[in-house]
Amino acid sequence: METEATRSFLPLAAFLLPLAGAVLTVPLRRISARVRDITLLALTALCASVAVWLAAHVAGGAVYEAYLLQLTPDIWMYMRVDALGALFGATVAVLWMLALVYSWGYMAEGHRLGRYYSFFMLSLAWTMGVAYSGNLLTFLIFYELFSILTYPLVVHEQTPEAMAAGTKYIIYILVGGSLVLLAIVLTYFAAGDQTLRTGGILSADIGQQSLFAIFWCYIAGFGVKAALVPLHGWVPDAHPAAPAPFSAVLSGVMVAAGSFGIMRVLFQVFGVELLREMGVMSMVTILAGFTVLFAAVLAVNQDNLKRRLAYSTISQMAYVVLGVSLLGSDSTIGAIIHVTNHAFMKGGLFLCAGLFIRRLGVHRVSQLDGAAKRMPVTAAGFAIAALGMIGTPPLSGFVSKWYLGLGMLETGNPLLLVVLLGGALLAAIYLLPIVYRMYFREPVLTADDKVTTEGREAPASMLVPLVIVTLLTIALGLGASLPGMPVSLARMAAETFFH
Amino acid sequence: MTPWPPLLALLIVVPLTGAVITPVVGRTRAVRSANWSLGVMLATSVIALVLVVQVARVGPFSYVVGGWVAPYGIELRFDEFGAVIAVICLLGTLAIVFSRRYAARAMAEQRIPYYYALLLLNLTGMIGFAVTGDLFNLFVFMEILSLSGYALVAVSGEKIAEMAAFKYLIMGAISSLVILLAIGILYALTGSLNMADVTERLGGAPAAPLAVAFGALTLGFMVKAAAFPLHIWLPDAHAIAPSPVSAILSGLVVKVGIIGMLRVYQIAYGSGAVDMTALNTVLMWLGALSIVMGAFFAVFQDDIKMMLAYSTISNIGYIIMGLGLASSYGMIGASVHVFNHAIIKATLFLGAGALIFQTGKRTLTDLAGVGHAMPWTVAAISVGAISIVGIPPTAGFVCKWYIALGAVQAGHPFFAFALVFGALFIFIYYIRMVNAFYFRQPRDPAILEVTEAPASMLVPVLILASLCLIMGVMGSVPLSFIEPAVQRLLLPLGGG
Repeated sequence: METEATRSFLPLAAFLLPLAGAVLTVPLRRISARVRDITLLALTALCASVAVWLAAHVAGGAVYEAYLLQLTPDIWMYMRVDALGALFGATVAVLWMLALVYSWGYMAEGHRLGRYYSFFMLSLAWTMGVAYSGNLLTFLIFYELFSILTYPLVVHEQTPEAMAAGTKYIIYILVGGSLVLLAIVLTYFAAGDQTLRTGGILSADIGQQSLFAIFWCYIAGFGVKAALVPLHGWVPDAHPAAPAPFSAVLSGVMVAAGSFGIMRVLFQVFGVELLREMGVMSMVTILAGFTVLFAAVLAVNQDNLKRRLAYSTISQMAYVVLGVSLLGSDSTIGAIIHVTNHAFMKGGLFLCAGLFIRRLGVHRVSQLDGAAKRMPVTAAGFAIAALGMIGTPPLSGFVSKWYLGLGMLETGNPLLLVVLLGGALLAAIYLLPIVYRMYFREPVLTADDKVTTEGREAPASMLVPLVIVTLLTIALGLGASLPGMPVSLARMAAETFFH
Repeated sequence: MTPWPPLLALLIVVPLTGAVITPVVGRTRAVRSANWSLGVMLATSVIALVLVVQVARVGPFSYVVGGWVAPYGIELRFDEFGAVIAVICLLGTLAIVFSRRYAARAMAEQRIPYYYALLLLNLTGMIGFAVTGDLFNLFVFMEILSLSGYALVAVSGEKIAEMAAFKYLIMGAISSLVILLAIGILYALTGSLNMADVTERLGGAPAAPLAVAFGALTLGFMVKAAAFPLHIWLPDAHAIAPSPVSAILSGLVVKVGIIGMLRVYQIAYGSGAVDMTALNTVLMWLGALSIVMGAFFAVFQDDIKMMLAYSTISNIGYIIMGLGLASSYGMIGASVHVFNHAIIKATLFLGAGALIFQTGKRTLTDLAGVGHAMPWTVAAISVGAISIVGIPPTAGFVCKWYIALGAVQAGHPFFAFALVFGALFIFIYYIRMVNAFYFRQPRDPAILEVTEAPASMLVPVLILASLCLIMGVMGSVPLSFIEPAVQRLLLPLGGG
């Protein structure tokens, strides 16, 4: 089943382009802000085209690899682009590019912009590295780098809340990272070769106890980033504190990096057969199922819009783990495409939240009454993304849930449909009232709001990313079955995992 | 092709004579002593470089001083562990460059030539310690570096510095005595002081005196290395000394204990007469304890140099744990960390020195916001902080990875756990530091007016910071360099 990999510098380019951007940010500002903005956009766009090109060719059956550095006498830093990584990489690069454009309008000039853009580009570089890592140590390196070097973005506002959220973020993430490191040390010792191929690199010979220890270290470690309850504590604080464009990528792809890690580990370190033998996945299923419902219930009560969306992310990301934990090929397809679909939907919602903050000065759901009249495009974008999140056909959210549902039936777990539909129902409960308020309530202006009554639709540079994200949500749903779409890549990945 | 044999002797003779002459050179103008000692260190570095390349090519070699063969004469022996001289020379050179501006402010003019002389003596002591093949010489060089170390701590002449130096002296003298006692016992047992010779003759020696000797050696070297709870002399001495001296003390001088331990291992394993199991267990626990306690105390410090001093205890903990594991991965990790930690800690101490020099403030509270005023220095410190916590792919990670692997290899996964989570603990106070420098509101807005450090300080810091990254990214170079030495060391154990 293993395809011969082609050597290519493109995986490296996808990671080096944004890195160059990060380095150039400050010197370019000396010339002018405009030059910096355009250069960064060009680099990100180039990175996104490389990622999409790679995804398209991987969908055609190719596999790319590249060697970066020799870290220790035994281990190279090694990149390998397979179907799973290609899809994640393309998602990351595209969403990041849109968030970058959005930042132009969102971030006021002089607001520590040099630091913001440098670390924004750095995080993109590391995340691309995560997507294309070809062995565990490479994965760990990029994973740790992007976890830790996003800290300056989380605390960017430097308000006391942001600092507190940052501390919480960094402690959660470091504990998670340490567990992953421990797991990788144990894996390396048990298996040696760490290239991420299908079929798994661990074998049952190393003993039940070690296998369980390694397994739970991985799940707990990545679970922190993937925000599995009870490891989700950092998510609801970090999102409201961070600048909106960063919240969009934080929720859209960085939380997903945890789920991505779990997929890599389950399918390519353990392998499906070993996992079935170990019989541990049912516990993960329970954990993920609980997370879906629990976080969704909490979301209903949040008045802070970004906080509500953050809980929604926890709930939605748990779908991914849930789908994977069933070890069925359809549910895995559902999980993989849900990462992509969710990235654009949630990205869209956070972009809207940022627009409400900037244009209306509104942070809370209860202040959104009548917002549609003042910002029609934004409200429409929000409504579409919200419907997608609930799983309304023909939007992209429906496709992933459809596959997840199929997988549940395929693996003989019809009861889990309750979780699936319950999560969707709760999503409707926490998202639709917002839509209702925006469209059907008259604006009630309190004394505080008076100042911002004049707030109208946002400038084009902020609306264009939102419109593109919304179009993607629609297109990924309508065109789901076309070749070259995420589903085909996910199907390829699932086929290799399940032979 | 072997280099001129006496080169190994010159390695010691050059800095030693240089040190003695320094006060004379700087008699009329202090700045001459700075130039002179820089020249001496550069010459020594060239010699060191030739020797390190040599050992990488052909393996260990030795030089018999004056042609007197062992066991009567003095033997200088250079192996891969001795390659630590490379980092000694590097740090020594950079510390001397850094001192140029720093010393002028930190001490009276007439003291400056003596300061450089002491610095050179200290470096000579370490170089000698690393390359000698003779137990008594080992002791002599250890005393040279310790005595000059005490004086260097007190060099500013302030009351508090004298107190710190005195505390350092007491602990240092006790540990030296303990080591001397052990050397005496070994001499009594074997009738030789040459290490290779002692190793050969130890077989069949009675167990009780052996146990005392090796126990005493370990105890003495652990005091020198400042393992918890034998660390009490370290924080004050390292925090109060002038920053370039702190860099040398924290980066290098504590490593004397480690290199000493490596020599002990060479004798113990080589002779096969000593059972190190019990000692190894002690070392593992000492290491774990040092990591955690060092981090614990560091969290409560507000003085930046005090924080760095405690962080040294944690890092020495890594190394001691790696040694105690006695597995090949652990030993390799520990040996490489001797190099890497020296570089990282020097980055941090010199960086901190530059901050203190420019701002006149030394607590995190007062230094809040300094990152905007001195971007390069603080960036270098941040790189150092990231390395010391072991975030990949920096220099600190390589060792953390190897020592953790070593713990699993030795069948003690618990210690891998302690290591990884100890590192986490360490991160907490470095985060505090980075937060203060970049993200907190300055307490005194005047700090934003401070200018970047002068080139003679900034350049060494930046060189070291880039080395923190390079040693991580090119991690395989030092690892494969040290590997044969560790394999040789562990060979009697069945290859470890």
